[in-house]
Amino acid sequence: MRTIDTLRRSGIAVSPDRTIRDAAEVMDAAGVGSLAVTEGEQLLGIVTDRDLVRRALARGLPPDARVDSVMTTPVVTIDAEADLHDAFALFRRHAVRRLAVVDGRRFVGMVTIDDLLIDLASDLADLARPITAEVIFGHRDAGVPAPG
Amino acid sequence: MHASVGDRIIVKGHRVGEHDRDCEVLEVRGTEGGPPYVVRWGDSGHETLFFPGSDAVVQHFEHSGSE
Repeated sequence: MRTIDTLRRSGIAVSPDRTIRDAAEVMDAAGVGSLAVTEGEQLLGIVTDRDLVRRALARGLPPDARVDSVMTTPVVTIDAEADLHDAFALFRRHAVRRLAVVDGRRFVGMVTIDDLLIDLASDLADLARPITAEVIFGHRDAGVPAPG
Repeated sequence: MHASVGDRIIVKGHRVGEHDRDCEVLEVRGTEGGPPYVVRWGDSGHETLFFPGSDAVVQHFEHSGSE
């Protein structure tokens, strides 16, 4: 499956000259915990609600500080056409909870560990269903020939 | 996804009990109505670039005729 086909959450991007107050208000309005920071559609970095707490609030930055002063860069990215297994490998290799999905250098969305876990839990439930039925309702042998 | 200027995009809540969010399409940056879109968020008035995921649906703006 292509990574681009797994994007469960919409991606939201702000320009680097926006303030950290703007970033916090956008997160609140959009119901997201992270924003891409882009110049046009070129990805520069990512800012998370955790960044706003640890790099801004805890250090006493003013609300009108620029968002690029607290963003994480460079960003761990995955190509939109890459197989989803490549995303698992990136999460294993890097200590991150989200990957920016890009088409070339253009930002197109974000894939998070939470999203992948939800998909995996759903797949596991599908796989477990026949086993659960067998354990609860007993083993079904169909078409056993009668002894001659 | 295809959208036009004036359309409304609804973003479904991600958690149980979380309300939906909405924004208005101000500009279409992609080709043939495709993303990304410049949007204005209903709750805050902030403008951002928006890259829709499967949590987003478009409500097309109905152009009413003159009466």
